[in-house]
Amino acid sequence: MTTTAPRANATAAAVRRSGARRGRSAPFAFLAPAAVLFALFFALPIGYAIWLSLHKVEVKGLGLGKGARSEVWAGLTNYTDALTDSELLDGALRVLGYGAIVVPTMLGLALLFALMLDADRVRLTSVTRLAIFLPYAVPGVIAALLWGFLYLPDVSPFYYVLDALGLPQPDLLDGGPLFFSLSNIAVWGGTGFNMIVIYTSLRSIPAEVYEAARLDGCSQFQIALRIKIPMVAPSLVLTFFFSIIATLQVFAEPTTLKPLTNSVSTTWSPLMKVYQDAFGNGDLHAAAATAVIIAVVTLALSFGFLRAANSRTQQGEPR
Amino acid sequence: MTSITARKSAPAAGTTPGAAQAPPRPAAGRPPLRHRIALLPTAALVLGAVYCLLPVAWVLVAATKSGRELFSTFTFLPGTGFTENIADLHAYRDGIYWRWMGNSAFYAGFGALLSTAVSAVSGYALALYRFPGREAVFKVLLAGVLMPPVILAVPQYLLLAKVDLTDSYLSVLLPLLLSPYGVYLARIYASAAVPADVVEAARMDGAGEWRIFTRIGLPMMVPGLVTIFLFQFVAIWNNFLLPYIMLGDDEKFPMTLGLYTLLAQGSNTPALYTLVITGALLALLPLIALFLFIQRFWSLDLLSGAVKS
Amino acid sequence: MPFTLRRRLVATTVAGLLGATALTACDSSGDESAAPAEAGPAALTYWAWAPGMDKVADLWNKGPGKESGITVTVKKQASGDDLVTKILTAAKAHQAPDLVQAEYQALPTLVSNDVLADISKEVEGVEEKFAPGVWQQATLGTDAVYAIPQDSGPMMFYYRQDLFKQYGLTVPTTWDEFAETARTLKEKAPDKALTTFSANDAGLFAGLAQQAGARWWSTEGEKWKVGIDDAATRKVATFWGGLVKEGVIDNQPMYTPAWNKALNTGEQIAWVSAVWAPGTLTTAAPDTKGKWAMAPLPQWSGGAQATGSWGGSSTAVTNDSKHKAAAAKFVTWLNTDPTALAALVKESGIYPAATAAQTGGALSKAPDFFSNQPTFYAEAAAIAKTTAPSAWGPNVNVAYTTFRDAFARAAKDKTDFGAALRTMHDTTVADLKKQGFGVAE
Repeated sequence: MTTTAPRANATAAAVRRSGARRGRSAPFAFLAPAAVLFALFFALPIGYAIWLSLHKVEVKGLGLGKGARSEVWAGLTNYTDALTDSELLDGALRVLGYGAIVVPTMLGLALLFALMLDADRVRLTSVTRLAIFLPYAVPGVIAALLWGFLYLPDVSPFYYVLDALGLPQPDLLDGGPLFFSLSNIAVWGGTGFNMIVIYTSLRSIPAEVYEAARLDGCSQFQIALRIKIPMVAPSLVLTFFFSIIATLQVFAEPTTLKPLTNSVSTTWSPLMKVYQDAFGNGDLHAAAATAVIIAVVTLALSFGFLRAANSRTQQGEPR
Repeated sequence: MTSITARKSAPAAGTTPGAAQAPPRPAAGRPPLRHRIALLPTAALVLGAVYCLLPVAWVLVAATKSGRELFSTFTFLPGTGFTENIADLHAYRDGIYWRWMGNSAFYAGFGALLSTAVSAVSGYALALYRFPGREAVFKVLLAGVLMPPVILAVPQYLLLAKVDLTDSYLSVLLPLLLSPYGVYLARIYASAAVPADVVEAARMDGAGEWRIFTRIGLPMMVPGLVTIFLFQFVAIWNNFLLPYIMLGDDEKFPMTLGLYTLLAQGSNTPALYTLVITGALLALLPLIALFLFIQRFWSLDLLSGAVKS
Repeated sequence: MPFTLRRRLVATTVAGLLGATALTACDSSGDESAAPAEAGPAALTYWAWAPGMDKVADLWNKGPGKESGITVTVKKQASGDDLVTKILTAAKAHQAPDLVQAEYQALPTLVSNDVLADISKEVEGVEEKFAPGVWQQATLGTDAVYAIPQDSGPMMFYYRQDLFKQYGLTVPTTWDEFAETARTLKEKAPDKALTTFSANDAGLFAGLAQQAGARWWSTEGEKWKVGIDDAATRKVATFWGGLVKEGVIDNQPMYTPAWNKALNTGEQIAWVSAVWAPGTLTTAAPDTKGKWAMAPLPQWSGGAQATGSWGGSSTAVTNDSKHKAAAAKFVTWLNTDPTALAALVKESGIYPAATAAQTGGALSKAPDFFSNQPTFYAEAAAIAKTTAPSAWGPNVNVAYTTFRDAFARAAKDKTDFGAALRTMHDTTVADLKKQGFGVAE
């Protein structure tokens, strides 16, 4: 931290000095494309989703024929329905349990691998870097098949090995092990992605920074702990921030395992409920309300984290 | 000190597997210390690689199996049907798979390029200018990821339908151009890689803001930007829901959606598993090539260092 | 100047896009004014998931389509519940294709959202080509016609002939015998199971209930009546729940790699399925070719003859279509013309809903996988005639989802299926009420 702080301050000071005089409009021009895209493809759809969440379809009689359906104001009924649905709360709890496994494991491994890729005298970095990233690139279309072949007792090579060794064979798709099976998919798929984020940050640290430390006789381990990790702190915050969001919006992993077992319901996670409402039951209104609730919870948790991380970073600064 | 020299003198080390395995070139008269391999980290990385590759290896093995072997032979036992699977995939509806692959390449390549550009200018502006509402702008952009994409796809469809753009290439491209993740990442990389004093010096020389960005900021951000490009490319390449909602014309489908039509053929028609697996395997190849190509840009600290001094 | 260049580029692109849409708009409006009621020249798009549908459409485009100037372009889709939402979304933006393939149980949902056109005037006289039970699904029991049936899936009992012989089992003709067979097999070979109860496809359970005489949805005046928890369905649920609880059949889902293996290795030796099973077995259990046989579904009472249906779909014309008459003409050809039906059997592998096409022609020879049963399709046609009527309502999707979750839990815990059925019934009724439908208690 100490190393970055002076420079960050210098940046701010320098820009304040001249930025006030010239290029006052420059940042707005630079941000214009993002602003337009945001307005069109985020703000408007989000607004529409909120509008949807406050309405509902009302059907008359048999609901057949023209004019049998109309969209009417629903007030907060979609929200109260969602919040009183015990399935949503259960789903939220399941997701918290899942996130408690996934986030630390995935980011811990990502940081570890990134530091090792960046360390000196490490071999095979190119191959391993690609290998660890590759799961991120495997398309989800075949995920259920893939994990079916690896998790289902009758076809899994792991069960085969356990059987040969005479070890007990847990049911990977039920109870406690199910959480680990789901987490494993997420860790497998996400570690490489986060590793690359941290690794790229490590690569952009100017080499001179290490010189002094090295001359002082710091070991690789000490350099990693005292210099590298603090310097990539912004990237760590970023990966944490987005991992929290990804956890609260978890959808792909349980959806992958759903067809393989009786233990994953169609509403296992809150976002699965959203999907089920919108695409299974065709009730966009209920789906939108649940989505807004998820978004608000995500907002509280992720931005709360961001605030906590920022205040810690600022406390760490000497000046 | 010496290790730094080694890293600087061989920026391309680690570009290809071969280069990584070659012994590091001895730099200015220093000891055989570097010839030792750091065993523990290497072993940990190899372990991680094996963990990650195992399920990928299944894709590879399964793609070699004929439809007959797929469900009947041991999971990791290679089969005999690889060439036949490729031929079948190629023959399926007159080779429409290649068209999907081309579509995917277009969506992902073009989309990632534009998206990276948007991320770069936005991230640069957010990192290097201080202006009223900066944090607010940043936070609002970030808040865009809070609403699950699942629920945005339908409004996005209805919106594009108003301007008659659904079922077009643009309908899949446009909503993906802004990536809050990319903007955040670009901001971090820009504030780490572009020193304010260099920007200030350029200003003193009378360079315009745009020129400073393209000539000084952009080159320094390259390692970060290629990462953003890579992420966006893979994200669009594997994106499913948006094209699913937007596109009706299977000639415009990306690969993921196309393969899905082979899987979900209705309850009375069995899924074409072998074709889907083979298709998914082939779809990995461009991503591997992209990764290998892109990773050479991660060693550009030499370049940014040179600009700084 | 580069700026101008760029602007021109944008302008050209926009013009191109507008041009393209304007072109199609011109096409349609022109046609409409030329022949509003007649099936005049038209270019139609058709969303379908059946494989080979494009080839069948080609036959039309080169033959009758060419004469009448009606061309059909197939856009292949992925089947599934989410396709219904996709169609609903497109219809909401008035961009739905002219024609859609739709599963029977999705029709009420689509009609209720005003997506499908009533083509009763255009397809007069078509009714007689179909069995009444099938036809009624396309009319929802009203005077309107919302779709023309394409394929159907009469249910049958499939079993491993060789293994039945080996274990001294006889083919069950009643469900009681079916249960006995399961018990006997479990005694003789504890590591095998007759079949599985799978909670991941409600269609199967719906078909079984249909055979038992259930009517899950019916109308009473302006009200829907839900009969999911009726005596017939309860009988079916209790029966399967009992077998799962006893442990004489498996409780794991179908269509997983493990299920495929169980069929292939003879770990499961029977499958309650529909006429399209040979295709699925070819993929799932390739090593068992020629070892299976098909028989009518076991009955609830000796001497009865009834079956349910699982799967099957229809072709419908949308309200967004500017050429409804032309579209109806194509739909009629597609699902009733002998040439078209023969092509559908050959290219798409469907089992035609039109009764005349269920025997002879492409279906005169048994499927390859069942070459040991040369009379396969003759027997199938006889079974198809015994299909009990089915009745669908406007929220089948909700019922199906609830089925999946409630029965999966019950199957896993080996608890009472009756309670799961009650949940399914109550959730379905609650959903109808919530949407504002009239519901008869």
